[in-house]
Amino acid sequence: MQIHVHRRDLSWTTSDVDPAGVVLTVLGDLDMAGAPSLRQAVVAEVANGFRLVVLELTGVDFIDSVGLGVVVGALRRLRSHGGDLLVVCAEPRIRGVFELCDLDRVFDLHIDVETALSKRLAA
Amino acid sequence: MTELSGQGIELVIPPTPEFLQLVRAVVGAAAGLSGGASSPLDPGRVADLRLVVSEAVTNAIEAQGLIGASDRIFICCRVADDHVVVEVVDHGPGFDPDSLPELPDVETPERLHYESGLGVALMRRLSDEAVVESGPRGTTVRLTIRSS
Repeated sequence: MQIHVHRRDLSWTTSDVDPAGVVLTVLGDLDMAGAPSLRQAVVAEVANGFRLVVLELTGVDFIDSVGLGVVVGALRRLRSHGGDLLVVCAEPRIRGVFELCDLDRVFDLHIDVETALSKRLAA
Repeated sequence: MTELSGQGIELVIPPTPEFLQLVRAVVGAAAGLSGGASSPLDPGRVADLRLVVSEAVTNAIEAQGLIGASDRIFICCRVADDHVVVEVVDHGPGFDPDSLPELPDVETPERLHYESGLGVALMRRLSDEAVVESGPRGTTVRLTIRSS
């Protein structure tokens, strides 16, 4: 089953936030079947000039190593363009898979989009 | 196609990712079949079971894709009083599970260049027993998940 990736830019936030930012909200199972859609979405955002992507995984029902790999790849792609990736993940089960692979040492797993953005502003 | 077999279930699927969700759902449900008694696994371990099965079947699909093998992948899930055993059989080219490349430390920039390579490690970490029998005609992965 395909995942669904919804996007919204960050123009609704204050001007203090990077204007070239976008939130990608992922719904569904982030596995070998769903991961290509997310990869394509991130590639498209970077190609369109967005340099800050907030990946909202709260609606993800399942993630495995392939899904994690796409998140890692998204971070690499954004950093190679001088950008950054923020990950929002409130579901303990999904957070647990990041932790099992020590990827919580790579990503700060934020509880919601607002918290992710406010921590970025404070950094 | 599914077939009940004693206190377990068998599936035979085409080697395509679209069937992963179905496999997870069926194996997760089968873990609750224990001859009328309560499931041997609590919900957390059922989630672990779904994850390791997904990893094993993903590897099977990738392995067969390497050689263009369209053979179906066999998944068998058997439920005992205090554990569940899942077997995944593919017709890929085989691999040596003991010579998988080690990933760089997660905090090094090099680590970001590795989008794969975590599947077998996850299976080993979450399973109470993970046995891989592999050869040029294919691979059988047998994973045992016990109650926590």
